[in-house]
Amino acid sequence: MLYRLAGIRHTTYRSARQLFPIPFDRKLLGFVILLGVAAPFYLSPLHLNSYLLPWVIWTTAALGLNLLMGWAGQVHLGYAAVMAIGAYAAIHATRFGLPLEAALLVGGLASSVIGLAFGAAALRVKGLYLAVTTLAMQSIVDWTIVHVPAISGGSQATLQAPTLRLFGLPIETDAGRYWYALGLCAIVTVFLLNVSRTSFGRALVAVREKDFAAAIIGVSPFKFKLLAFWCSSFIGGVTGAILAFCYYRAITPEQFHLEVSIQVVAMVIVGGLGSVLGSYFGAGLVLLAPIFLNNWVASLASALNLSLQTDVLSQIPLVLYGGLIVGFLLFEPLGLAKIYDNVRNYFLVWPFRHAR
Amino acid sequence: MLKLENIEVVYDHVFLAIKGISLEVAEGGAVALLGSNGAGKSTTLKAISGLLAPERGEVTRGEVLFKGRDFKRLSAPERVRLGIVHVLEGRHVFGHLTPLENLIAATSMHRSRAKIDGLVEKVLTYFPRLKQRINAKAGYLSGGEQQMLAIGRALMTEPKLLMLDEPSLGLAPLLVEEIFEIIARVNRETRMSVLLVEQNATAALSIVEHAYLIENGRIVMSGSADTMRSNPDVQEFYLGGAGRVDYRNVKHYRRRKRWLA
Repeated sequence: MLYRLAGIRHTTYRSARQLFPIPFDRKLLGFVILLGVAAPFYLSPLHLNSYLLPWVIWTTAALGLNLLMGWAGQVHLGYAAVMAIGAYAAIHATRFGLPLEAALLVGGLASSVIGLAFGAAALRVKGLYLAVTTLAMQSIVDWTIVHVPAISGGSQATLQAPTLRLFGLPIETDAGRYWYALGLCAIVTVFLLNVSRTSFGRALVAVREKDFAAAIIGVSPFKFKLLAFWCSSFIGGVTGAILAFCYYRAITPEQFHLEVSIQVVAMVIVGGLGSVLGSYFGAGLVLLAPIFLNNWVASLASALNLSLQTDVLSQIPLVLYGGLIVGFLLFEPLGLAKIYDNVRNYFLVWPFRHAR
Repeated sequence: MLKLENIEVVYDHVFLAIKGISLEVAEGGAVALLGSNGAGKSTTLKAISGLLAPERGEVTRGEVLFKGRDFKRLSAPERVRLGIVHVLEGRHVFGHLTPLENLIAATSMHRSRAKIDGLVEKVLTYFPRLKQRINAKAGYLSGGEQQMLAIGRALMTEPKLLMLDEPSLGLAPLLVEEIFEIIARVNRETRMSVLLVEQNATAALSIVEHAYLIENGRIVMSGSADTMRSNPDVQEFYLGGAGRVDYRNVKHYRRRKRWLA
């Protein structure tokens, strides 16, 4: 019905190998892109700045972490630290006089170099041991940022981010900052969509599935794990810088603590490991569900004239939020993206019940 | 004893792998499932032992009866307690345990220590090779020994129906013969039913009474082992040809699986 396959014949390799071979997928994507780009024109500044903008930025971060966790299968519990390095490095670079584009690169490179150093140390261990090692990275980076005044300006200090600039032109509007973040998100999305089709992506998946089976076909697990750490940390660093420039506009060490790392991991897992779409869904759920639940519970309580204590009122959304995440994962252990995929598969074979 | 009635298996909600298979295993009987790769033999076994869920599969239609009772709703461990045990393709022994510990690990349904000791003794008489390596690490056993351990481990649950998925996988011909002899002996001595999936059709047909031929998720042929063996199609496709070729009568076309249609 929706995803019509009848009559669609690919007569060239080019058309058969495109990212979205089914026309409906392309149309849907075009529509969503249009909605995303036009958002500043139909959304109120509140919705744009506090819902959509963070969603776009955290999606980028989740995509970066998904490359490492979903594609290469390496757990990372210190992603906020990676983002912090990028944010601080980029801000110091712009203060030093570099143009913003170069500062973003500096942020990304700083993150990837430090991330790689920790990755190399961590890669002698696997699975849960790796998770604990990356946790150590989080603590070390946290400690360093707080205790080296040259980086943070002291534990209580706030570092003001210089004005966002595109090729030297200052960007002062909310819409401009949103588009800037959206542009980066688009670049990372296109990169990740294509990673699966390259030898790099296939090598990562091989390492994830069985590292010794990868080694036996000439794919060096060590090299590709490091490459995954490098790429993922680079994306994390740039995203951290964007977060600082476009969203927070002033950074403090608390913005990149352990709970933020856990939140990004939650986005990746709830959305779906190894799924680009999943990172969007996951970031959306983890970021926006608490806000909406809060509003709903508050308005419901006032509508029903319930005189609840404020602490009860503030706990209910958290309970619902936790229940929501557990519920989704029980319903579909492979994440939100798989729920979408199931629906899509259903319509792909409709009106039949099965494909063979 | 075991009866499948027109079962359908769907993977991931949309991929239909088994399209209505019915088969029967009598008490004390030995039955083989034959068929080429990807025909649905292993999926059939998993539908019986309850292992479809981890692979996102599901029996969507039909009945799976054991002694007249539909057990589709039971989980895999509950089915073992019912007396259905599945020896997986590719062995899957617990590598960090010794063979003895592997055997004992499969006895959670038995309460009496003496019974467990008796069962270990019995399994070790079937597989004397395991006795020699009883305290080694199971991960360091050879492929054949691991296969014996996997079968022995299944026997520890005192099954009424033993399902074997490719027990000859990767084993030397002599070892295959040895393992098949033991399976036949267990079947004969304890009246335990055997359901065997095997690529090595010659070996399989030598120990079973009845066989089903599966292609594309459907049963396309069934009969006693002797009828199957003498069927020219089975000979051509699964038994490696009919032996010497008489070039005077040689046909100018290749035999086709007409029953696939």
